Amino acid sequence: MSFSEARSVIPLLLLLAGFCLSDAAKTPAPATMTETTSQQTTVNISGSTGSEYATHITGPSKTTEDAKELTEKIPVLAEMKYNITLKEFSTEVKNITLGQPTVLELLCLLDINPLPDKATIEVTWRMGNTTIRDDNATKDEHQNIWSTQYMAEIKNRTQLGNYACIFKTKEKAEGIFDVQVPEIGGKSKSLISYEGDSVVMSCDSGKYVPLDWVWYTMNGSEQVFINDTLRPEKYQVSPKNLNITKLKVLGLTENDGGFYWCEAIFLQLGESRGKASLKVLTYMAPLKPFLAIAAEVIILVALIFIYEIYTRKKEPVAEGEKEFEQTEQLKSEDSNGVENSTARHRKV
Amino acid sequence: MPPTAVTRINYTPPDGGWGWAVVFGAFVSIGFSYAFPKGIAIFYKEIQDFFDTSYGEIAWVSSIMLATTYGGGPISSILVSRFGSRPVVIFGGLLCGIGMVSASFCTSIFQLYVCAGFITGLGLALNLQPSVIIIGKYFLKRRPIANGLAMAGSPVMLFTLAPMNQFLFDHFGWRGSFFILGGVLLNCCVAGALFRPIGAATGPAKSPKARQAMETREEQLETGKAELPGPGNEEREDRDCCENFNKYLDLSLFKHRGFLIYLVGNVLMFLGFFAPIVFLAPYAKHLKIDEYSAAFLLSILAVVDMVARPVTGLIANSRWVRPKIQYFFSISIIFNGVCHLLCPLATGYVGLVVYSAFFGLAFGMVCAMLFETLMDLVGSSRFTSAVGLVTIVECCTILLGPPIGGTIIDVSGDYKFMFIKCGIVMVLAGLFLFVMNYYNYRMLAKEEKRKKCEVAKKNDEYLRKESKESNIQNTKLMQDGPETAPLRTEEEAADSTNES
Repeated sequence: MSFSEARSVIPLLLLLAGFCLSDAAKTPAPATMTETTSQQTTVNISGSTGSEYATHITGPSKTTEDAKELTEKIPVLAEMKYNITLKEFSTEVKNITLGQPTVLELLCLLDINPLPDKATIEVTWRMGNTTIRDDNATKDEHQNIWSTQYMAEIKNRTQLGNYACIFKTKEKAEGIFDVQVPEIGGKSKSLISYEGDSVVMSCDSGKYVPLDWVWYTMNGSEQVFINDTLRPEKYQVSPKNLNITKLKVLGLTENDGGFYWCEAIFLQLGESRGKASLKVLTYMAPLKPFLAIAAEVIILVALIFIYEIYTRKKEPVAEGEKEFEQTEQLKSEDSNGVENSTARHRKV
Repeated sequence: MPPTAVTRINYTPPDGGWGWAVVFGAFVSIGFSYAFPKGIAIFYKEIQDFFDTSYGEIAWVSSIMLATTYGGGPISSILVSRFGSRPVVIFGGLLCGIGMVSASFCTSIFQLYVCAGFITGLGLALNLQPSVIIIGKYFLKRRPIANGLAMAGSPVMLFTLAPMNQFLFDHFGWRGSFFILGGVLLNCCVAGALFRPIGAATGPAKSPKARQAMETREEQLETGKAELPGPGNEEREDRDCCENFNKYLDLSLFKHRGFLIYLVGNVLMFLGFFAPIVFLAPYAKHLKIDEYSAAFLLSILAVVDMVARPVTGLIANSRWVRPKIQYFFSISIIFNGVCHLLCPLATGYVGLVVYSAFFGLAFGMVCAMLFETLMDLVGSSRFTSAVGLVTIVECCTILLGPPIGGTIIDVSGDYKFMFIKCGIVMVLAGLFLFVMNYYNYRMLAKEEKRKKCEVAKKNDEYLRKESKESNIQNTKLMQDGPETAPLRTEEEAADSTNES
């Protein structure tokens, strides 16, 4: 903490230096100073903590002590950077999924050939339908790219939405960052279970871990909260603070069929819902196909046996005759063999 | 016809007629036996969620089913020797049905092991071996074709079961599906009904004189050696339980040269036989191919397999291949091994498609001739016991193959070592079978020659003896009584020389 304190002092000194140097009125000074400081912080931010950044956004006129207080109150924010590179005059959308309060560095780059021959290009940043900033894009001379950047702090659900950077060229070039909470993966097909049985429905929030999960069931068109502590013999929810949740419903009846909603509550950013559907069948449902197949088997076996007896009835007479013939033949052959040998001997 | 085992059958196999109905029944039976353990894998995800277990624990159901199907071989053999194929298959079908229906009411994973794994597996064992045995009884000249067609049941059933299982699952959940699959397995009883008994072992009882006359005639044809026919023993009452057991399960096969060669070669081959199929889809996903394309690879394999099996049967039946069918079998195993060795070279999706096609071809060739070569080596009458003994020994390596492959993948982190291991094992097995069968064919040719010499010698002796006796008798005759008396005595003399 002492290190960060020291680092927070240096920009403040710069601020005070700026104050002394400028002769301008106080009101514009903070604006320019915030701009310079914000630029400075962009340089430092990759190596600094979020708490430091929070200090500057809240205003340059605060003292070190106040800044320290604020850093202690505001939790550590994650930081993420996202770019959109526009290679032609069109609209490009990028989806950003957040599971917790985050500081977003949104960068729009205009990389069009041929490069518009202008001294400056105006850029508008919008959130939803409101304009949040009107600015000029900066040109990178070496690479011939115009860029603009916006730091968005997403701390609560009102700050979720579309952040758009619009380049004011003859044809519009727009980049949209769609910032949302994670979608919950449920099952697209309905689960099937039977009366008296139990079923397990699960929802998955991917890489993001929500604070809590809540399950709802539909009663007609109303949502009904599933309270597993109130009725533990019927509902069991486990676990609650990982990215997968499972609802076990015991003692199913036909009324338990329908839609179920699993809601994941993310820290400060709101909720996200997934759907699961359940169908409860009676044991009669699979019994009918089973009986149909069993009947088919019995019929086929009976047919095969009947056919066999029918063909056997024709054969036994012929078989008896054949056997008789065979034994006769053998006897005659044996005696023939002996006779032949005696014949031979006689010849000798 | 190949210079192979003494078949000692005293009827002519029909090689057609009702035999084709038997082939159809065997097609259904064998299809269920091989395809069913793989087909129910579709239900595992939901069962895993339901019982809250890991995938490994669920996959045991398939392993237990396959192990029981192969391990129940000797039981099958004994029952078929005693009762014939038909009752055993019908009972097997009923057992399968009972197993799956009871599995649909299970409340723990252990009960699932017993019902779906053990009972159904045992029922499938009582289906598989008798089906193969009865083909050997109905066919001789066209046996490779019959075997190829019957073994084609496995890929066809798998192809049908997979979408059907998915449909059942979407409409009835896993419990309902198991219930209905119990009914579907009852169709094995239909297959069993088609297995009309044939041959002296289970045919109608003939008069003792006719039987004995046929047997003596058979011996004169065969060897001239004095071997007592099997059924003749039935008339004697004094036997101990070992001989009794030996009558149903011929353990003397372990001294049979051809049987031992087949056993060792096949046991080695099965170490690397099934693992590539199990890991083909995971390997494809590992190469960043999407799930549907990976599943499509298995479909290509199944379709090529389906076509390859009957075609291999046809080729194996041709007069150039049939006498040397063991070489054809060894070469197909080596081809299979080479496919696996070349698989690591396939890096893209097209390469894997080519590999799947060749693998399907090789797999079908080997499977089509799996039982045909055993029949060829031991002969139709001893095949009943042979198939039971072979399957129970193979059961161990079949179960070990995929887990060993899995361990290699986990340890090395790369799939190619598993393919190389499978390829090497199969090439070695193929080479072993090739060399040992070359030796076996030579020994069999030598034995044939020796037997022919002996028969010729014995005939000469017999003729010389007879001429001496008849000369003596003729002189006696001229001195003594009527001619009928010497004929009877000579007949008795001939009988006694044959029976000694």
